[in-house]
Amino acid sequence: MRATRRLTVAAVAATTALTLSACLASPDQGDDQGAESGGPDDPIVIGVSLPLTGDFAEPGKGVQRGYEAWAAHVNENGGLLDRQVELVIVDDQSSADRVASDYERLINQDGVDLIFGPFSTRLVVPAAQVAQDYGFLFVEPAGAAAEVFEQGFDNLFYAAPAIADDHYNHLADHILALPEDERPETIAVASMDDPFAQGTAYGLRDALAAEGIEVVVDEVYPPNTTDFSGIAAKIADSGADLLVVGSQYQDGVNLVVALQQQGYQPEMAAISGAPTNAEFPAAIGDKTEGILAPTGYTPDAPYPSNEEFVAAYSEEHDAEPAEDEANAWTTGQVVAAAVEAVGCADASPECQQQLIDWLHGNEVETVVGPLSWDAQGRPQSAHLIQQYVDGEITIVLPDDVKEADLVHPKPEW
Amino acid sequence: MTGALFAQSLVLGILLGGLYALLAAGLTLYFGVMRVVMIAHSAFLILAAYLAWYFHERSGLDPLLSLVITVPLFFVVGYGMQRFLVSRLRPISLTTMSVLLTFAVALTIEGLLGFVWTGTQRRVQLEYSGASIEVAGVSIAVVKLIAFALAAVSLGALYLILRKTSFGRALRATTQHPEAARLIGIDTDRVAGLGFGLGLATAAVGGTALALDYTIYPSLHWHWIGPLMAIIVVGGLGSIPGAAMAAMLLGVAASLLQVPLGTTWAQTVFYLALFLTLMIRPQGFFGGRLAQRF
Repeated sequence: MRATRRLTVAAVAATTALTLSACLASPDQGDDQGAESGGPDDPIVIGVSLPLTGDFAEPGKGVQRGYEAWAAHVNENGGLLDRQVELVIVDDQSSADRVASDYERLINQDGVDLIFGPFSTRLVVPAAQVAQDYGFLFVEPAGAAAEVFEQGFDNLFYAAPAIADDHYNHLADHILALPEDERPETIAVASMDDPFAQGTAYGLRDALAAEGIEVVVDEVYPPNTTDFSGIAAKIADSGADLLVVGSQYQDGVNLVVALQQQGYQPEMAAISGAPTNAEFPAAIGDKTEGILAPTGYTPDAPYPSNEEFVAAYSEEHDAEPAEDEANAWTTGQVVAAAVEAVGCADASPECQQQLIDWLHGNEVETVVGPLSWDAQGRPQSAHLIQQYVDGEITIVLPDDVKEADLVHPKPEW
Repeated sequence: MTGALFAQSLVLGILLGGLYALLAAGLTLYFGVMRVVMIAHSAFLILAAYLAWYFHERSGLDPLLSLVITVPLFFVVGYGMQRFLVSRLRPISLTTMSVLLTFAVALTIEGLLGFVWTGTQRRVQLEYSGASIEVAGVSIAVVKLIAFALAAVSLGALYLILRKTSFGRALRATTQHPEAARLIGIDTDRVAGLGFGLGLATAAVGGTALALDYTIYPSLHWHWIGPLMAIIVVGGLGSIPGAAMAAMLLGVAASLLQVPLGTTWAQTVFYLALFLTLMIRPQGFFGGRLAQRF
């Protein structure tokens, strides 16, 4: 008897609650999401999922620092649309399954107004799919592989100067313009089995192979590889003139050390990923000299908002920002430009579509220069090429922004 | 494959096999002594690597010196872990429950490493990190040689302890027949605890060797436990010489197969060997069942 009574009470309570919430939610759904957002004093809530642990923890934390620095800077300067900005950052543990459910939760349960993208191509694609399903604008700091732009997303924008395949364009042009006797004749390629790492490395490989330079080693390794001595043995055995590596971070470091252990001395070493990490010289020691790397960002770039960024970031962190931080900040700038121009920042499909449409038709001034996008979200610029010269990572290409001349052949490591 | 590349890969395989041998020896020791599947072995390995790295960061001294601290520390921790955690499991379900228990320990260690030192990837940077000795056209990295020497010395010491000391005899007796060992007056509980400590001490040595040549991060241990488990099954559970031989063989095989097959497929050699062993000779190829002989 008592149990039945209790059940009845519970059922009535539940029904009442459901009816009430339905009544509250039904009017003007479109332009107001109820109590959680929309008011002039409420913060604009931005949801992000990042790989703070696992394989991509290192760059993931860089992106986190960039997002947080951007939010703090915006809030100090009066916020966005006169509202404060609040970040909700969750950890996806570098897992593609987690990242999709994270964005589902951010959009459905946490009711965020805007979302920013995660790190790395492998996480960007599933995250962008969720954003597409809910009609959200999706600006991302780190999904540069060609396949990101071949999935039919029309809500995606990559907040960096160029996609992976174009990163080395300046270097490819430079190598092909070298006199015959200085030009490398053979290439050894090693890349992580990752669309972004492979995109950068293969962009250079294919550009050079098309002009008759011979590819003598072409290795792919899984992301969990820790022992690189076998790959290093193959590369050392080939004695290739040019080394091209597509790396993330620890793999690049381990491979370089393994190559040094086997006494391999290339004339030119182009390594994407690892060398632009601030920890790289500390991990390799004084043997970085001459290593080339493409970069979408340098603190020395003369764009107006970049000086503001470097000043704001350095003040908080006692260190200059790196590429991951910069791309995160760029993401913030791109979304902010759209929000300011359109005048809305909420989860409604109308507002999100207006933001998307605006970005398709306009150019945004960012810390990596002016950015505009094609219909699939590919940015329409090119990457700078940096080289370790006298222990400092320095811009060497293209000629109009270089800080030093490219050193070729590279000093022994 | 050129002759030089073959020779180089063979040497690399032997060096790697040596390290695997030491790590697998500890793992098979737990099983031999206690029928415990110690998933956390490689987590302790990474913990030791972190301690070596931290020691080097703080003191500026060679990370090898951290062995003076970590080996006794791990021995004590291992003894305590056996006496206060593993021995509380009911004997009837000990092997299966030990998987769960040590899995939890592994996750705890990984979490604590991330909490204390963050997920940032760490590397010990030494004067001799990139140095190598050239012998007949084959480059032998100094750090790999040191790791191999550490493994050889530790395995030798382990062998002497088990063969020549009365504790070793008691340990082997406990491994072979616990009831009989108790009947002749061996305190098998204490011996099992000391055996566990000995196994964990090998993880301290292996972790320090690892820190010399690898970039470390908290979740790295998952990459090690799979091959190590495969090695001890192939070698015969509980047999230390079996584990050492299987480690050497599979290490060399992985290194040589890497040349024609590439890195992705070369990694599968451990698991193929595991499947073959289970199909053809489930008790393992080198040791007898449960280390009847040492």
